[in-house]
Amino acid sequence: MGAFTDPWTVATAFGGVLWGILGGALPGISPSIAMALLLPFTYGMEPIPAIVLLASVYVGAEYGGSIPAILIRTPGTNSAAATTLDGYEMARQGKGGEALGISLISGLVGGLFGLVVLVLATEPLARVALAFTPAAYFGLAVLGLSVIASLAGGSLTKGLIAAALGLMVATVGTDPVSGVPRFTFGSPELLGGIRPILVMVGLFAVAEMLVQIGEPEWAKVEARDTRLKLPSLAMFRRLLPAQAIGCGIGTFEGVTPGAGGTIAAFMAYNEARRWSKNPDAFGKGAPEGVAAPESANNVVTATALVPLLSLGIPGSNSAAILLGGFLVHGLTPGPLLFERAPDVVWGLYGGLLIANIAMLLLGLVILTPALWLVNRPKPFLVATILALIVSGVFAIEQSLFDVGLVLVVGVIGYFLRWAGVPVLPLVLGVVLGFMLESNYRRSLVLSGGDHRVFIEDPVALGLLTAAVLLTGFSLWREFRRNA
Amino acid sequence: MLTRRSFAAASAAALVPFSAQAQMRYPVPTVTLVTHSSPGGGSDVFLRELIKHLHPVMGVNFAVENVRGGSGATAVARVARARPDGSMFYATTPTYIQTTLLSRPEFGYDSLDPLAIVFLDPEVIYTRVESPFRTLADAVAHAKANPGRQRWGAANPASLERIAFEKMNRLIGARAAVVSHEGGGDLMINVLNGTLDLGIGEIQEIRAQLDANRIRLLGVVTEERLPDFPDLATAREQGVDLVVTKFRGLAGPKGMPDEIAAMWHDALRQVLASPAYKEQYAKESLVPALKGREEARRFTAEFAAEIAATLRELGVVR
Repeated sequence: MGAFTDPWTVATAFGGVLWGILGGALPGISPSIAMALLLPFTYGMEPIPAIVLLASVYVGAEYGGSIPAILIRTPGTNSAAATTLDGYEMARQGKGGEALGISLISGLVGGLFGLVVLVLATEPLARVALAFTPAAYFGLAVLGLSVIASLAGGSLTKGLIAAALGLMVATVGTDPVSGVPRFTFGSPELLGGIRPILVMVGLFAVAEMLVQIGEPEWAKVEARDTRLKLPSLAMFRRLLPAQAIGCGIGTFEGVTPGAGGTIAAFMAYNEARRWSKNPDAFGKGAPEGVAAPESANNVVTATALVPLLSLGIPGSNSAAILLGGFLVHGLTPGPLLFERAPDVVWGLYGGLLIANIAMLLLGLVILTPALWLVNRPKPFLVATILALIVSGVFAIEQSLFDVGLVLVVGVIGYFLRWAGVPVLPLVLGVVLGFMLESNYRRSLVLSGGDHRVFIEDPVALGLLTAAVLLTGFSLWREFRRNA
Repeated sequence: MLTRRSFAAASAAALVPFSAQAQMRYPVPTVTLVTHSSPGGGSDVFLRELIKHLHPVMGVNFAVENVRGGSGATAVARVARARPDGSMFYATTPTYIQTTLLSRPEFGYDSLDPLAIVFLDPEVIYTRVESPFRTLADAVAHAKANPGRQRWGAANPASLERIAFEKMNRLIGARAAVVSHEGGGDLMINVLNGTLDLGIGEIQEIRAQLDANRIRLLGVVTEERLPDFPDLATAREQGVDLVVTKFRGLAGPKGMPDEIAAMWHDALRQVLASPAYKEQYAKESLVPALKGREEARRFTAEFAAEIAATLRELGVVR
């Protein structure tokens, strides 16, 4: 644990977290982009601080995404989308400071839990990652879709319409099996598909700004909570079950490459609601609705490293950037990393611990000014946010096409809201669509078109059964309540 | 301003004898190398290592610019519109040809002029250590005896690797299921858990598993055996007439003077022979295959024609 004694490593961890929180909080800058922007600076650094810097950015960014999700209903990262439901509701009730405190503490709980899992259980969890065949991934995607019922809000029909729209968006791009370009209209910009982050920035950030501008007397400053409030001991106890659910789901989703923090956060929200004594409070400002997804997506920052460190397989875009960081320093993550460079592995663990502490300290410093900022006169606020959105989206790939796409999606999002169509199922559809389709078709290519492959694979069977049971349970409860 | 300087350099080149050309000043002080890959990605690492060694030889400053988006088309467009004064080049891989063929963007591979081919990235066919196959010949014999039973995996749907496996399928009549993935990680999991019988990829991608003795190399899909794997037979030696040429090179805007191209050729030759760089690229199993401008032009045109034909055969493009 030399990481603690090396002031350079401590400094990079703090710097990385700070950069990550800022990047994560800016709509459009995803964790992987925040990391990629720093990657060239790590080339000249020693391996341990370089890896710690990148991992700290990841930790900070996953947390930072929740700040705008709570304050302005605009998730800064994909995995903070679920936090908007209850986080923004709390802010509207004047409890924004409390919601920020809950998200910070839950993120810390998740990050530390994930770190313990990473240190103690990397070897057995790597075997879980290997057990996932294409059929199993299909099962996982179906299980993820079963969350729609929870996200639909008032009308299940409208929720299903939104999810279907999301799945349609996910079909744009290169066909996952044959390689034929689909719905790209000859545009190379669309060959890689429409990235979920762009859809989300449009649906949440741009649409929210349009809604705000359209409100009468919108320029008036509302009296809102301006002080950060950390959860009391009683509140912390109340949140523990939700955080435990988040930690469990985050661990599982983190180690399966490709699943990631977004699905973890959505599923954690759904399960926290299901097992809550008071599920009707969810969506109306329930603190558990912030705690569950925020602990889940921060667990993922540690457990997503399991397949990377033990197998050399990056499970997400962020992990792929981290892999690049390892390779640049002549280190190959994989089964032999623990033998060949144990100092780097332990340095990384130590750095992650420091990063989580840094997240708490920096969060305490940053959140009060953030609360102050969102209470400025709306015209300034809206103009600034729109400028940040456009420049952030442009910065990702220097593409005006992306900016146009986000603005168009924003207008669509505005009309969806007007029609009362919930946008979260749409986001879920975009996130899961590609995984669902590609693994379904891949499984059928493998089996020669035989659908029994989904029953014969034990993991797939288990996940599909769980999806059916959970959906059935939700529907039964809805009917009983309505009857 | 820049053109005037390059004109001066070009006329100076006409006056000095040929041997002095390598010492001649490069027409611009800074060269920007553009790649479509993100920082840390394949071409990005290639460029950053290359410029470390090129900088002292050519005496100019180098900058790497990551222009992502459009599957490489944005980066190609940026270079195609640059001045042909030697100040900007694009790091080529087969991707820029595939993107052009798949989506016909405004600026395609044919809007650039190939400057050089630097390396070949050898592709290997592998399986997990638990597999009964010891060589590619074993796997092929089994596939021929059990048509339609084997499962092979490649990283991406429109990739060179998938094309290679589809070709092999036709060559030996295996009727194997060729499954494409979302990158090398996905593919490796399905090889390791036994879902796939064979996988194909670059050595660099599978290094971790190879060193840990989790996978076994069955054959290499190049003309000659690899220097660091002298015992690994080529596919041809094992009775499968399959050669995949994945390349790394440079291309610039059209209309660049020949003198600049000649300076690059000299510099690249020097750098490839330097022991420090050799050690670096040998670690990544890259095979130096320097081709100058004329050769690179011919190579690129032939390569594109072949890929176009195969993509048509696979039904990916019409």
